[in-house]
Amino acid sequence: MSSSDEHAHSARHPHLAEHFETIQQQDYAARLGMWLFLGTEVLLFAGLFLGYTVYRHFYHATWHACSQALSLSLGATNTVILISSSLTVALAYWAVKVGKRNLALGLLAFTILCAIAFLCIKYVEYSHKFHVGELPGKWFRAEELMQYPAANMYFTIYFLTTGLHAFHVIVGMSVLIWVMKGIIKGRYTPDYFVPVELGALYWHLVDLVWIFLFPLLYLI
Amino acid sequence: MAEATTTDSAHANDAHQHSTKSYFVVWIILLACTVLTVLTGRTDLSHLFPSANIVLALTIAVIKASLVVWYFMHMREAAGTNRIVFVTSFVFLLVMIFGVFGDLWTRSPMTLPYHTPTTEGPEIMVPEGGHHAPAHHE
Repeated sequence: MSSSDEHAHSARHPHLAEHFETIQQQDYAARLGMWLFLGTEVLLFAGLFLGYTVYRHFYHATWHACSQALSLSLGATNTVILISSSLTVALAYWAVKVGKRNLALGLLAFTILCAIAFLCIKYVEYSHKFHVGELPGKWFRAEELMQYPAANMYFTIYFLTTGLHAFHVIVGMSVLIWVMKGIIKGRYTPDYFVPVELGALYWHLVDLVWIFLFPLLYLI
Repeated sequence: MAEATTTDSAHANDAHQHSTKSYFVVWIILLACTVLTVLTGRTDLSHLFPSANIVLALTIAVIKASLVVWYFMHMREAAGTNRIVFVTSFVFLLVMIFGVFGDLWTRSPMTLPYHTPTTEGPEIMVPEGGHHAPAHHE
């Protein structure tokens, strides 16, 4: 009995935590936990999308005019950047799974560069808005949009949604840096890659939110 | 030990050795959808049917999001529980938005925050130095 216990113990996966029976059970729990968290993230943004919907319903002309005031080219560039970074992070996950360590690191580094490029473009957009006074609440002072009622509410929602999204970009970047560190240390291999998978999932969520924010804020 | 090794390698193998081709195909479709939504986004399509713009833009966004979730996020290989968990959050998002729409669509005009007073209805009291509505200075 004791020898079989010892046997089972020696066969334990090096990354299997004490409280799990098997690595499959641990992976299952980790994935379920991540999807639950992503579900709460969807609902976090849902509140802001609801605010957008209500104000858009009340101030339709204002919403139309203000969305035209945003830079379509910068918004579209950021969309392409995020979609491409979603591709590279998916490829990086694949590369870890098949053991192409250096390729995975390169792809993750590219993804992080995309995140930085996204934030730089966001900074250009924000600084322009600060300059012309397209700001939330009492700070709103954009002359050409003054005639539209509640134009400041558009920019309240603009800054809340894109600000929360930009925060997610920063968090996602940090997660990917942490994943890279794990790969460099040799922690994630074809035998154990669930943390890479979960980090990639988080980055895809960042892309997912932007896929809805971009048309709603910039286009219509 | 032997048993553990087989399950481990089985685990690594069921890790879907599909090629990376599908990722690139999805990426191309996502870029094409982005081009389509940018081209149609700021053109007025309301002659087709009212609010054609938002319907088209949201349809494209839903297609893009589904592709990301299904292929990039590997929902197609995810366990049933995980699918239910994630999809449920979208169900509740829709419940919340359409629940509120029940209010918005059935409001009497007088309860709208930005309402142009008409001769038929009672006047709306606008506080002194209150909000600037175009109806009052046109």
